Amino acid sequence: MGYLVSVMTFASIWAVLALSLNILTGYAGQVSLGHAAFFGIGAYTSAMLAVKAGWSFWPAFVAAILITGMVGALLGLPSLRVRHDFLVLATMGINFVVVAVFKYVDFFGGALGIIGIQKPQIFGWTLRGWGFLGLALAYLLLSLWVSDYLRRTWAGLAFATVREDEEAAEAMGVSVPRFKIYAFAISAALAGGAGSLYAHFLGSIFPDHFAFVESIGIMSMVVLGGLGTLRGPVVGAFALKILPEYLRVVGDYRYTLYGGVLVLMMLFQPQGILGEGSWLWRRVHTWRDRLRGRRVFSPERRPSVTAPPTNPSTPSPPSNPGRGVLQGEADEHEER
Amino acid sequence: MKAWRWLVVLVALSLGVVLASGCGQTRPSSYKIGIFSPTTGFAAADGTSALHGAELAVKYINEQGGINGVPLELVHYDDAAKPDQAVNVAHKLVGQDKVVAAVSGSYSGATRAAASVFQEAGIPMISGYAVHPEITKTGNMIWRTGSLAVVQGRVGGALAVDKLGAKRIAILTIDNDFGTSLADAFKEYVLAKGAEIVFEEKYPLGEKEFRAILNRIKEANPDVLYASAYYNEAANIVRQAKEVGLTATIIGQEGYDSPKFLELAGDAAEGVIITTDLNRDSDREITQWYIRTYEETYGIAADMVGASTFDAVMVLAYAMRKGGTQPDQIVKALAELRDFEDAVTGPFYRFTEGREVMRPVTAQIVKNGRFRFYAEFDDPALITPPW
Amino acid sequence: MNLWNILLDTLTQGSIYFLIAVGLTMVYGILKILHIAHAAVYTVGAGVGLAVFRLTGNFWISLVAAMGVSGLVGVLIYRGVYFYMLDQPRIVPLITSVGLFLLMQDLLQKPFLMGPYQHAFPAQDVFPSVRLPWGDVPSAQVMILVLTAATLMGLYLLFTRTRLGLAWQAASMDRDMAGAVGINLNRAVALNFLLGSALAGAAGVLVGVFYNSVYATMGDVPSYKAFVVIVLGGMGSVSGTVVASFLLALAETVLLSFVGYVLPRDAIAFLVLILVLMFRPQGLLGRS
Repeated sequence: MGYLVSVMTFASIWAVLALSLNILTGYAGQVSLGHAAFFGIGAYTSAMLAVKAGWSFWPAFVAAILITGMVGALLGLPSLRVRHDFLVLATMGINFVVVAVFKYVDFFGGALGIIGIQKPQIFGWTLRGWGFLGLALAYLLLSLWVSDYLRRTWAGLAFATVREDEEAAEAMGVSVPRFKIYAFAISAALAGGAGSLYAHFLGSIFPDHFAFVESIGIMSMVVLGGLGTLRGPVVGAFALKILPEYLRVVGDYRYTLYGGVLVLMMLFQPQGILGEGSWLWRRVHTWRDRLRGRRVFSPERRPSVTAPPTNPSTPSPPSNPGRGVLQGEADEHEER
Repeated sequence: MKAWRWLVVLVALSLGVVLASGCGQTRPSSYKIGIFSPTTGFAAADGTSALHGAELAVKYINEQGGINGVPLELVHYDDAAKPDQAVNVAHKLVGQDKVVAAVSGSYSGATRAAASVFQEAGIPMISGYAVHPEITKTGNMIWRTGSLAVVQGRVGGALAVDKLGAKRIAILTIDNDFGTSLADAFKEYVLAKGAEIVFEEKYPLGEKEFRAILNRIKEANPDVLYASAYYNEAANIVRQAKEVGLTATIIGQEGYDSPKFLELAGDAAEGVIITTDLNRDSDREITQWYIRTYEETYGIAADMVGASTFDAVMVLAYAMRKGGTQPDQIVKALAELRDFEDAVTGPFYRFTEGREVMRPVTAQIVKNGRFRFYAEFDDPALITPPW
Repeated sequence: MNLWNILLDTLTQGSIYFLIAVGLTMVYGILKILHIAHAAVYTVGAGVGLAVFRLTGNFWISLVAAMGVSGLVGVLIYRGVYFYMLDQPRIVPLITSVGLFLLMQDLLQKPFLMGPYQHAFPAQDVFPSVRLPWGDVPSAQVMILVLTAATLMGLYLLFTRTRLGLAWQAASMDRDMAGAVGINLNRAVALNFLLGSALAGAAGVLVGVFYNSVYATMGDVPSYKAFVVIVLGGMGSVSGTVVASFLLALAETVLLSFVGYVLPRDAIAFLVLILVLMFRPQGLLGRS
């Protein structure tokens, strides 16, 4: 039981991370391979307030969210200068520098990390096991609500415009720099909260917990599940957190299979397990419509995104107008 | 009517199977000891060594009749040196495999995270080689047979100043908890003895290029270079030091203690002295058995990581035999342990109140491409852990 | 401060960075894919090189074998995987590359391949060491410098004097137009991957010899360090990669020689990158 709860708790925490990255990359189109930095900043903020300043979990948690959000706005500044692959590298760099600071600056505990982070308490009752899982799930629900809210409101529209075409957005009066910073701030804030939960669950944190490999892991979860959707990042996070545990049956070949799963998924379902137009989503969609008693039309024959091109030089339009994240080849040339 | 009877038979059979397997057993078929170590990822070398050490221990114990006739069974899970996996694995070992006790064959971050789980579940856990000071402070279930960096650092200081007579000392520290603890203890000792630290710098784990730093060290003209590292960095430090013409004696620690260091460093390793727990020239029977058998079984020479983990299992088995297999019995037996001879890196004099092991530290020197005995440090003032 | 040492270290480190990154630049230039698995090809090269060296004792045969196998692996990756993703948003090949990297590294770590331990590659004395009036150049460093110079020369000739090189330049400027004017893109891209991956394999062998260690996870640092170099240089420009490699090596060596590790070497590299990008968002030699 403890095993199941433990796995589920980590999966929930990573689901929040994936959702937060989704806001930045899926909604606002800013590809970031440094998201673990925000995870770490939240964790360290909360841990240090709890251990060194004696705060209890709840104010530390809120502080982690706020402070990480502010730092996120600051660290989002490079996105105003660089785009696309350059931004990817800049965010990677931010990740490295943040971890290096945690390790080399003694104020943050350095290589010895922060130990002895206590579990949260509510009305005198310590949250552990099922209790903590409940807390993590509650935060996941909150993150889902925030993501959904953003998508439905004007902010979501603004993000989408920035993602699709920055020049057009400016022309229409959407302040691109402002919304980019908003995206970074909100995304970082959510990740910071996840970091706080992580720190208090594990009880000890070290700088290397938030290294670049984690950022790659989070991005993989988002893309695997379905970039830009609400369900995708959650499904991706649960899948990729549970997979290594499930794969223990194959012993030491876990990561070979894990890598293989990523490759195969990208080959056959690049839009993600539950992304727009994916095999599984179409089934779920149809089944859901049937349940609701609607007339079921055959699933729209969207332009297939998996058919191999006959020749790499064949120009092809972006396969799905609503999913222009990280424009494919055609737009990249215009950029230059 | 007929179907009914079949159903009753089926239910009765199932109940019977469940009952037979569950209760009514006077003796279990084996006692399970859990071990988690990284056998994939960047730390796979150490994790594999640790696992092998534990496997050999189980083999040795079972050949001697196990725990009062009941064999030991080792349950291993890979944690890839990641703390969240270590936590999951800890829960798995406690909840699903229901181990009697556990051993950590992993690094500090993972060990510390898992230790919380074992402490809360009331299952004893021994850290094989993870050095972080706070691990044993998790609680009364958490013990350590691995060497404490504080102790090793002190011994390193004694080696440098008392034995080698060094006056000018350079310190190069790897930037993790291992290096930091070593350097702090070393510095404290040598400064108290009046030596001068002419150079001090830390470097990132995994670094391969040391020439720039070594040139600066050379200019500071030290008698001795105290360089903390794992075998890959150590090999590079030692080789490049020779290349830039640094002649100071290099003192290393248990991180160097691996045949791989000797292989990668080649000739440059001659004359390097390390503080460690595994004495190749020891005349203790179990040490020689271990060194011989490890190489025979796994085709590679023994190292400190495997030896420490071997000892962790041996100590657990001793406690189980002497006290019993309930957690509080094991813990009591560990607390009462005195002069334990069945440890490769021993003898273990005793455990302190802080559950750290007290044992002699050996210094080994590289001569003709092999680790040979150089000195032994037995002075309680040096080797007693501070908690 | 010994300036000769600083110069020598800079040249050597810069050469190493260049060798690792140039293959990646070539691939990126033509396909615009962030080919993280490049680091796994690098590791394969090192492993094959060592294995062949143990069999033959000959450095040159090992080098050629490593380049051959790595080149093949690279082409296989292109033709078997990337080829099908060329019209996808670029995050798809990126995640695929991550998956390939994890898969290959994990497999390489198994006992029947490279195992979890590090292995020595005792081929340091292939070249003679050189005595100069102001300092020595050890033989391993001579090896790196000479082979890098040869590679630079070869690439320059290839890119500017051959039809293939011209095809690559055209394709990296505008792939569709290049196809339209009759360049056989399939062949050009495949050859590009072949050479780029072969260079990665060569880099693996040279680094393996230089630091006398070959191991399955040796691609961890190059997997991101190479990107720092190519972004700094301006993404897809070989000359940019040259400049960036040496500049980065200079920055690191100077800082370490005079100040020390304020931050780990890689964090320093990234700081340099971020600073440069703030002032020149297209990289040092990128087209804006």
